[in-house]
Amino acid sequence: MFKAKLKEAIICFGAGRVTLKYPFEPSPVPPKFRGKIEFDARKCIACGGCANVCPPRCIVIEDMGEVAKITFNLDRCIQCARCYEVCPEKAIWPTDEFETATPDKSDLTSEMIVWMSSCQRCGRCFETDNAIDKFESKRWRGRGPGEANKHGIFPVKPPIDFTLPGSLVREPEGEQVQ
Amino acid sequence: MSPETLQKKFLKGLTEQFPDILGKLREYVPGQLIAVLSRDELPKVTKYAVNQLGARFVITVATDQRDKTGDFGISYILAFDEEKQFLVLHSNLPADDPRIESVTPDVPAANWAEREAYDMVGIVPEGHPDPRRLVLPDDFPAGIHPLRKEYEYNTRFPSEPQNAPPRMPPPEGSTVVPLGPFYPTLEEPAYFRLFLDGERVVGSDYRGFYNHRAVEKLGDSELNYNQVPFVAQQICGICGQVHSCAYVEAVERACEIETPMRAKYIRTILLELERIHSHLLWVGLAGHIIAFDTVLMQLWRIREPVMWLMERVTGNRKHYSSNLVGGVRFDITLEAAEDIRRVLDKVEEEFKAVVDAVLIDTSLMARLKDVGILTEENARALGAVGPTARGSNVAIDCRVDHPYAAYDQLDVQKQVQDGCDCWARTLVRLYEVFESIRLVRKALDQMPGGPIMAKIDGSLPADRIGLCSVEAARGESHHYVRTGDNNRPYRWRLRAPTYPNLQAVGCMIQGVNLADVPICIGSYDPCFSCTERVETLDVNTNEIRVYTREELQELSRRKTLG
Repeated sequence: MFKAKLKEAIICFGAGRVTLKYPFEPSPVPPKFRGKIEFDARKCIACGGCANVCPPRCIVIEDMGEVAKITFNLDRCIQCARCYEVCPEKAIWPTDEFETATPDKSDLTSEMIVWMSSCQRCGRCFETDNAIDKFESKRWRGRGPGEANKHGIFPVKPPIDFTLPGSLVREPEGEQVQ
Repeated sequence: MSPETLQKKFLKGLTEQFPDILGKLREYVPGQLIAVLSRDELPKVTKYAVNQLGARFVITVATDQRDKTGDFGISYILAFDEEKQFLVLHSNLPADDPRIESVTPDVPAANWAEREAYDMVGIVPEGHPDPRRLVLPDDFPAGIHPLRKEYEYNTRFPSEPQNAPPRMPPPEGSTVVPLGPFYPTLEEPAYFRLFLDGERVVGSDYRGFYNHRAVEKLGDSELNYNQVPFVAQQICGICGQVHSCAYVEAVERACEIETPMRAKYIRTILLELERIHSHLLWVGLAGHIIAFDTVLMQLWRIREPVMWLMERVTGNRKHYSSNLVGGVRFDITLEAAEDIRRVLDKVEEEFKAVVDAVLIDTSLMARLKDVGILTEENARALGAVGPTARGSNVAIDCRVDHPYAAYDQLDVQKQVQDGCDCWARTLVRLYEVFESIRLVRKALDQMPGGPIMAKIDGSLPADRIGLCSVEAARGESHHYVRTGDNNRPYRWRLRAPTYPNLQAVGCMIQGVNLADVPICIGSYDPCFSCTERVETLDVNTNEIRVYTREELQELSRRKTLG
């Protein structure tokens, strides 16, 4: 009994201080960390790949003909970074930001409107190595219950070089294609 | 059927008793036999296999397959652990009369599974000794079975409070002490009613499943193959990798996808690291439950570097998001492997010092030895799994019995104790940490090069069945996947390890003192919320009401006395 307590005391005294000073000092994250996602409207081609693979469906894409509206409800995000993985243009990526607590849900919601045109670059827009990722999620474009897409592959619509005011400015097509 | 399977002992026993079953057995996936039986045969075969041939009852899977074949399906999954074999006994029940004879009187482990099959799909277990509502909320409308396909995942049902299941009457002369609905030391929802005679527990009643999350319904209706692993890993805050791994392996087995060996090794390494930090967490918690907080503080200090390691290796402390059908998403690089080795050396050294102290600490033994006895016989009968079973001398470990990932190449040693008490269960976990450290090192040494993702072309075949059991830190986590059309699972069933272990609690706490109940329940590492994964139903209206302290007190008194 005494011996055990002595051993335990040695362990306790040997431990030293282990707590971090966070939040009074910053706590850096490792390079692979998947934090809050960030996106670039100028790169997005609205192919819908991210919305299709998003497990909690925090990315929703609405096909509105002329434009596609992409909504990010980051309060649902589980930080798996699947969107980053499938994005053909790398227009969406995880950042180091993890302090996302907020009293207002709308702080975590954003919308992106991308102008669409008729198909010019089909075949390049959403290609993954993994066949399963081409399978269309049910209702990913707000279809009615039970309706499933019969095509297997996305109806891909690349964007037009069209200029929108403010932050949604799209740069001319030529600059983007690599 | 493969020639090896035909040689197996259980099959001889089975065919002696039921000669015509041999023609009905099919083996689509190695190690998994499927038999379609009539509804009269199924209970007979189940009872015989469990009680005469030593099969372990795993789970039932009730399926609403009316859109395909016009009837309901029920599968009883049995495991022959020594012979590395799963046996699925399936029966189709007519849609207008889905009844089946209950096996619970002879196979007590089937108790909850049959009640759940009734609650969720409406398969009536005839002759069930305790057919009370199990998983649905108290005020869920009667006669509605939410896993049937006609209900959408977000259907809202009216509240009918009169449907609350009756509570078990306490034995004559005993006092009822409620423990819950929030379990005091684990901060999870579970409601035990303990029947006390003085200080001694003479009986108990459990009501849980407060934390419904609809994952099975989502898997059946909404998600596609590669979305499910990420939902599966959210089932548990500790064994996320276990659930996602079990799911993807089940799909891979069903669809015969050849996963690259390197991917399997990466899964194995992550699983073992998860076991290490889970066991360290549990030993700390056990110390906390018996008010020995030095153990809690020191063990969690030792554990934290493992969490940081996981963050560096996978990008997240807990939800690694590593598994996809066909492989894993990221590699373990040489630097990461060095990092893992370095952290494990430190953890092993520090943990060994703690174990040396704890093993001779008589104050700890006084609280744990001969407390919460679960005899070997009861552990087998109630289908206990994991360290709970291994502490009762039941040598089952899925890493050896039903190898998955790369475990068949690692030569896992089962850790078994015969004390049958809380101390034995503690010892199993302490020794398993060292075993896991050894396995990670061995896996890092043996890991072959090559791709980490299989090439998958085209769609996955429909109507195949895949099973996978993964040994979580707390026991066997079992996943069943039936593939469907439109490239999504038709039925995804999962059983968390706490599900069978929780059924053994009543047996474990029988006769112990009230003060020992928390450690008894804590000793099988319960994860109440993982067990509760079925149907989400917000039955409340949108009305928000703030209770005052007095009102809450009054409410809780009424609840306790009523």
